[in-house]
Amino acid sequence: MVDNQNWNHTCAVAEAPLSGGGVPALQPETPRRRFLKLITNLMVALVAAVLAVPLIGGMIGSSFRLKKLRWAEIGDISSLSLEEPTNMKFAYKTEDAYIRETVIHDVWVIKHSPSEVTVFSPICPHLGCHYAWHPETQEFACPCHGSIYSITGKVLGGPAPRPLDTLPFKLEKEVLFVEWETFKVGTPQKTRT
Amino acid sequence: MFSKMLRWINERWPLSTAIRWSLEEEMPGGTSYAYIFGSCVLILFLFQVITGVWQLLYFVPTTDRGYDSLNYLRTEIPFGWLIHGLHYWGASAMIVLVGLHISQVYIWGAYKNPRQLTWLIGVGNLLLTLALGFTGPVLPWDERGYWEAEVAVSSAGTIPLIGTLARNLLSGCTALGQMTVSRFFFLHVAILPGILIAFVILHLVAFRKFGISGPWDEAKRKLTGLFWPDQIFKDGIVVTLIFVALVGLSAYWPPPYSGPLDVLETFYVPKPEWYFLFFYQTLKAFHGVFEPIGTIGIPLIVTLLFLFLPFYDQSPERNPARRPVAMICFFIFIAWVITMAIIGYDSHPGIASEGTSKVSTASLQASKVSSGDPAAQASATVKQGEQLFNSLGCIGCHTIKGRGGVVGPALTPQLLKGKTRQWLITQIRNPRSHNPSTIMPAFSSATDRQINDVVDFLLSVVQGKPVIRGPVVKAPPTATVPVPPAIPSTAEVTGPHGPPEAASFTIGNVELGATIFHQDCEPCHGPQGKDKVPNPGSTDGTVPPLNPIDPTLFNKTAQIFVDHIDPYIQHGSIPDGPNPALHMLSFGDSQSLTQQMIANVEAYVLRLNGVERAQPVHPVLQPPLFFWLVVIVYALVLGGFLIWKGKR
Repeated sequence: MVDNQNWNHTCAVAEAPLSGGGVPALQPETPRRRFLKLITNLMVALVAAVLAVPLIGGMIGSSFRLKKLRWAEIGDISSLSLEEPTNMKFAYKTEDAYIRETVIHDVWVIKHSPSEVTVFSPICPHLGCHYAWHPETQEFACPCHGSIYSITGKVLGGPAPRPLDTLPFKLEKEVLFVEWETFKVGTPQKTRT
Repeated sequence: MFSKMLRWINERWPLSTAIRWSLEEEMPGGTSYAYIFGSCVLILFLFQVITGVWQLLYFVPTTDRGYDSLNYLRTEIPFGWLIHGLHYWGASAMIVLVGLHISQVYIWGAYKNPRQLTWLIGVGNLLLTLALGFTGPVLPWDERGYWEAEVAVSSAGTIPLIGTLARNLLSGCTALGQMTVSRFFFLHVAILPGILIAFVILHLVAFRKFGISGPWDEAKRKLTGLFWPDQIFKDGIVVTLIFVALVGLSAYWPPPYSGPLDVLETFYVPKPEWYFLFFYQTLKAFHGVFEPIGTIGIPLIVTLLFLFLPFYDQSPERNPARRPVAMICFFIFIAWVITMAIIGYDSHPGIASEGTSKVSTASLQASKVSSGDPAAQASATVKQGEQLFNSLGCIGCHTIKGRGGVVGPALTPQLLKGKTRQWLITQIRNPRSHNPSTIMPAFSSATDRQINDVVDFLLSVVQGKPVIRGPVVKAPPTATVPVPPAIPSTAEVTGPHGPPEAASFTIGNVELGATIFHQDCEPCHGPQGKDKVPNPGSTDGTVPPLNPIDPTLFNKTAQIFVDHIDPYIQHGSIPDGPNPALHMLSFGDSQSLTQQMIANVEAYVLRLNGVERAQPVHPVLQPPLFFWLVVIVYALVLGGFLIWKGKR
């Protein structure tokens, strides 16, 4: 059978010296065949290149993306009394790739005028507890380790290493927006985590 | 240096021999475009492996995140649209080419002695490819994937004797769920491709042993060609064209977004991938006790006929002209596959008349849920009325028989008791004539017959049995809506109350959204959101049109746009004005629409405003632009090469 001879021939090739040259080719290498080899390799290279661009691009492009900070809408401050810390809760959307969750956070807001406020993170810079406002003493006090802060956030007593952390905010027609950030606790410097 | 390295390797591993073994072959009868299919399938399988593995970087096989993670890959990852598109269209292309390959082998009689084993392995490859094409679409666990799994698992359940065992093994549980996704994932990315790779190697070894069968005409066999480069050059041209075509398909016809899974959603018409349509349509012919014949019997018989072909057809004759029986069988089979696929593609199950019987299945299910309610055997008009109650959107606000929204009062027998037909007709036609401050929209566009049907349905709920009704009662002409007296509004804050909810994060199905919009939103916002429905007592005087939408809500970035409109749909809103008659209802909070349905409606509202919910956020290049860039690069490089060669 023709086909079996073909197989035997391939076996014979396998036993030939391995160094590349000196093996009798099945048929002569004509200029046409050289051309076909070149252009076929070129086509393969093109497909590989076009496939490589998205494969590598997709991996790189998504690895250097900065985590987005979003303005979280805290609410309307028109009804707040001036110079009186108010705890405002808000729903904050966290986003980690395709996992999006809404968590409830809160901030302390002190309204100075319709266009001027101070926003404190509710997290005590000492060890991360949540502090509270005590209107009778006009102080913020942390229940965990007794750190005390003034209405401006200044440390009045206790182990706190730095004043209360303020958060970036913007006001649009008395609607307050805050960029929710957290900071390292227990250090004198305010650094983002 | 290179030859030294090659020699070093060759002394330890027969690299040159392996390459030569795979490339060097003398082809009796010379090369032909008829032989390209096998190579094309092999290369396409390679594409599928590469694009499939890459998608594992982003996709997670879970019921709650699967669809979102796939959409993240498709919209947020640069070129994600392309990789997924190539995988999706590559699967179809692979099945087409497997079909062409097996047809060529059949027509050429290449399965005959001594290539029986090559054929057997090849049929194994065909089955594995189909199994991959079946398990893949299940993985995102969206509307399409879920229903495909449902059909697969139910079909397995119809196997005589071992049905329950097969069903539970496939679904990993007694019901569909996370374990089902995990099993399909396990099959699709590990087991099936692993076996297929092994089978492909076996197939190639068997193919190399005997080479191609070549032309059946002895005279034509004298001329010989080489596999490399003569045949591979032809293969290369076709593979290149297929690849460019796949990029084009991915750019212009991206895979559909079938919408997040919602088993309450009854408008979705589950249909298999095109390559299973013929089987899907054939199955419809088998009912009841005959069902296993369709689900198991026919596939088994066809598979066995394929497998044992070289054993019951042992004649050495290869010329198709002298194998009339074989050729007739072939054309009957092809005709069956194509005809059934076309009928299946064209069929609209459940949409028999006025597009409502799909709803009727839903309401029947609903009545089954409410424990064999007598209304299930209701007269035709009651049934019609029940369908209209759904399709006109009444159910969006009113709970009836334990199902529906809570915006309006629940239509319990106690509430409806004592209400006359005429009273109910007036209430539907012109609700404000009974209660000037009601937010119920006037269903002035419904026909008398429709309203009477709905009333029949309502009355049947009171009586617990179908009503016998006289002639259709004429509804009083719709009065011009009187401006209601200024009653102090209880809610003082206007606008939506609350943040966007889960629906805003998910990419909905536009077509399903259109259906839900038609049912629940059109009474107030008009067809395609274009009407300005009067809303007396509001500052605008009309319900805000959605098409085009208020420019402060519009945004050309889909996610921001959705975040703007989602709170309205979730929490409702009260328009500005002294005493607006109509309020936006809280479809989310009242659970009259599921989050998945809201996602679908949002995708539709965005499209009405010319924004695609599923737009690629970081495409680097817009898909069509990328496609044309590829075409131009190919033309320039290959054209340039040919010109350069021509000059030399």
